[in-house]
Amino acid sequence: MWFKRKTPVLGDFEQLVLLGVLRLERQDSAYGAAIRQEIHARSGRDVSINAVYTTLDRLERKGFLKSWVGDPTPQRGGRRRKFYALRPGGVAALRQAYRTFTAMAAGLEARLETK
Amino acid sequence: MSPRRPRLAIWLLTKRLSAEWREFVIGDLEEEFAMRSVDSRTAAHAWFWWQAVRCLAAPPPVQCGSSALEPSRGDSRMRTVVADLRYAFRVMSRTPSFAVAVVSVLTLGIGANTALFSIVNAVLLRPLPFEEPERLVRIFTRTRAGVPFDLSPGKFYDWQRDAQSFEGMAIYPCCGFREFALTGTGTARTVKATAVSARFFEIVRARPALGRVFRQEEDTPGGKHVVILSDRFWRTEFGGNPDLIGRRVKLSDEPYTIVGIMPADASVASWPPMAADLWVPLALSDEQRANRQNHNLEGVARLKRGVELAQAQSEMDAMSARLAREFPKSDGRWGAVVIPMQEAIVGNSRTMLLMLLGAVGLVLLIACANVGNLLFTRALNRRREIAIRAALGAGRARVFQQLLIEALLLATIGGALGVLLAHVTLSAASALLASHVPRANEISISADVLLFVVAVSMLAGMLAGTLPALRAGRSDVNAGLKGGGRGNGAIGVGTRRVLIVCEVALSVVLLMGAGVMIQSLLALRHSDTGFDPTNVLTMKVTVVEARYPTPAQRSSFFDMALQRIRALPGVEAAGTIDDLPFIDGSAQPVKREGEAEGSPREKPVAHVRRITPGYLRAMRIPVLRGRDIVESDRDVLLLSHDAARLVWGAEDPIGRSATLPLLSPTVVRQVVGIVGDVKQRDPSEPFTPTVYHYSRERSWSSATLVIRTSLPPTTLARPVVAAIHAIDPEQPVEDIRRMEQVIDSRLTSQRFSALVLGIFAGAALLLASVGIYGVLSYIVRGRSREIGIRTALGARTGDVLRLVIVEAMSPTLVGIAAGTIAALASARVMETLVFGVSASDPLTLAAVAAILALVALIASLLPAYRALRLDPVKVLRAE
Repeated sequence: MWFKRKTPVLGDFEQLVLLGVLRLERQDSAYGAAIRQEIHARSGRDVSINAVYTTLDRLERKGFLKSWVGDPTPQRGGRRRKFYALRPGGVAALRQAYRTFTAMAAGLEARLETK
Repeated sequence: MSPRRPRLAIWLLTKRLSAEWREFVIGDLEEEFAMRSVDSRTAAHAWFWWQAVRCLAAPPPVQCGSSALEPSRGDSRMRTVVADLRYAFRVMSRTPSFAVAVVSVLTLGIGANTALFSIVNAVLLRPLPFEEPERLVRIFTRTRAGVPFDLSPGKFYDWQRDAQSFEGMAIYPCCGFREFALTGTGTARTVKATAVSARFFEIVRARPALGRVFRQEEDTPGGKHVVILSDRFWRTEFGGNPDLIGRRVKLSDEPYTIVGIMPADASVASWPPMAADLWVPLALSDEQRANRQNHNLEGVARLKRGVELAQAQSEMDAMSARLAREFPKSDGRWGAVVIPMQEAIVGNSRTMLLMLLGAVGLVLLIACANVGNLLFTRALNRRREIAIRAALGAGRARVFQQLLIEALLLATIGGALGVLLAHVTLSAASALLASHVPRANEISISADVLLFVVAVSMLAGMLAGTLPALRAGRSDVNAGLKGGGRGNGAIGVGTRRVLIVCEVALSVVLLMGAGVMIQSLLALRHSDTGFDPTNVLTMKVTVVEARYPTPAQRSSFFDMALQRIRALPGVEAAGTIDDLPFIDGSAQPVKREGEAEGSPREKPVAHVRRITPGYLRAMRIPVLRGRDIVESDRDVLLLSHDAARLVWGAEDPIGRSATLPLLSPTVVRQVVGIVGDVKQRDPSEPFTPTVYHYSRERSWSSATLVIRTSLPPTTLARPVVAAIHAIDPEQPVEDIRRMEQVIDSRLTSQRFSALVLGIFAGAALLLASVGIYGVLSYIVRGRSREIGIRTALGARTGDVLRLVIVEAMSPTLVGIAAGTIAALASARVMETLVFGVSASDPLTLAAVAAILALVALIASLLPAYRALRLDPVKVLRAE
């Protein structure tokens, strides 16, 4: 349709999840629980695991993420992890979002930063 | 070890999540759960559940092609349930009065059930607070009359030596605590001690928190004075000081060495020997150990692992038979009984509690009938809405589900409030419970109880909701839409009548039970005890022997106390007795003077009580022949009428002599009078043959004061205690009670069941009348057109009234008839619980029927009034 763009705009929560993956992928630990904890620790938002996976799934289907399955570990009751990493499209979308945000916020730092 | 995982939540997630996500989501949750439970297990569980609930509500989507983008055909079951719940909430908030009515009825029903189940759970179902309680047993002798009875030391030590089925056996004195005066701390205080034989603590498996338990050699008269403290006593008296082992404490002016301190969980309120403040060794002398006559010890034992109760019992039977041959005089025809601890503690409250549980179940059934009726009315009023749903394609199952979910939601709220109600009731009634049921301190709303509440709530919701939901699902779409939802004509009148019949029938059963129980209680309270308990004050006084070492000093203390008490204004008579009626006391053989020692005839056994002058007058026990005792008497006896007949038969005992061999085989006592018969043991038993003895030379140190007053007895409690403290300000005075309270304490289980049944019956009556009223209002409204036409055609007030009242009374009468049959059938259960009245007492039954008929009549008055006020013109025009 006429309003549909080539790279879709990321939602607020999608940004959080993508940033989470970006922070964690270098240590090869971008999986659900770790992303959830990262978001909680940094942003203070105690999100639910189902929301994280729903979003990861959507982002993967949009082509922003790729995923693979790891080995089973005992502290998970012998269950495996599903790891995620950014695809170039995801990096681009995140850059776009970051640019938009910093551009819009430029010059407003004094008013936006608390203390 | 890894913490216990929330298995239920994991299971639910496994069911709910698609195969694609299950592993990763649950794995993530478990991983974080493990991390979180390092800090707090509870918080981790709460967190896990919170996450799980959110996953259950909205799991990550299933990825199969592009199906996630298309709407699925038909909603998933979970989704419709959620939608129905949401709808049910909306319906509820739209008609709050209806919701309040239904929820309050359910709260009442479920709350009562929860409260009672908490009691039953604590008393009957939960294991006793001992280690391996199923192996712990009480051992008794069995008297020649076949009744379990206390042990004699001789028999016990023979058992202990020979029995193979037990890991060990121990004894402690019967009939309450040994009381010590805690001296040297300023104020006088009596402390309750249990004297226990060696190995007692090992058998009970009570391990000291500090120090040790008693050693074998300390259980001898030569042993040192040692004592073990309870946690409670240690904390209140010594502030929990941990360096107490080896220190001394003064009990009745004698020093005792503290050797151990029991932990708090070793105290068991429902079992007296473990409810003591402290424990001392029993320390029987060799002579005492050999005694086979004196049955004054209670036994406890632990079965060997793998030994069944029946095995132990048969071993004890064989051993008793052997001892009976060995000691024909003392042990002949005596047996032995092994009773599981649980049974010994819970005793006869079992039947009572199960009866009450049945009764409270009936209350819930009545509540469900009421709620069912309300829901039914409501479903019919919503016919139009349901018809629209059906027209739009909702199947019968779908409509059924929706209505059932509404009922279940109401039941869930009722259940939650019911738990609250039960909690409030139980804590408000805790004092009452403590005096009426064993193990009362263990009553709580535990996890089992909560599970029970969930089950009962769901059951109630199903019971009340199924019938209306089924009916509604069956209704005809066309008629429903045409009818426009206006309640023209009463529908489902037959079903409603059935509900009324059920309610009335169940109420009859409950009212009958309550009526019989209350009559039984009254019969017991007013049964002729042989004495007059009104205006009698009693209290127990035990002097410290170390403080009054000689018998003369003790005698003069009691004489002085009685003198001062008799001088108080309002006191009519005062005397003492060792053990009051309805408090366990001694029963002993009586030997007539001149009777040969080895007489083949068994000596008659009578209750023996030690009294002082003034007792008979204080209790108003009449002197039938001869005279009352006087201060100057030496070694005299008074016989109750039955005791005189028992010991001397037709002969006149006055002036004759007898000995009480257990008390003292050498002292010859002369009979000076015959007095009225008295019940010493239980108001439900016949009179107890009793021998009273008195001598001005006395050596005892403990007595119960019995004071007859002309004023309300409790007002005299303070002056009497003051009079005693004027002699010795450190003298403890215990158990200050009116004689009526003493009797009541024997009737606790009857009082409790009468009270609770009465409350249930009242609730049933209220619910039934509300039910009848509701149904009748509905019917009258439905038939208003008919009534209007009748009035227009000339029907008179009486005709309309008759119409309504017949409508009310016919199901009521059927209910009364059905209830009568049910009540007579259940009378067999009640028969064992009542005294002085038949459980199928026709008078009570008639009264119950009359009450219910009257209630039905009253409940029909308002609808009848409404029917009379109908304006035929308006009614007919409304069509």
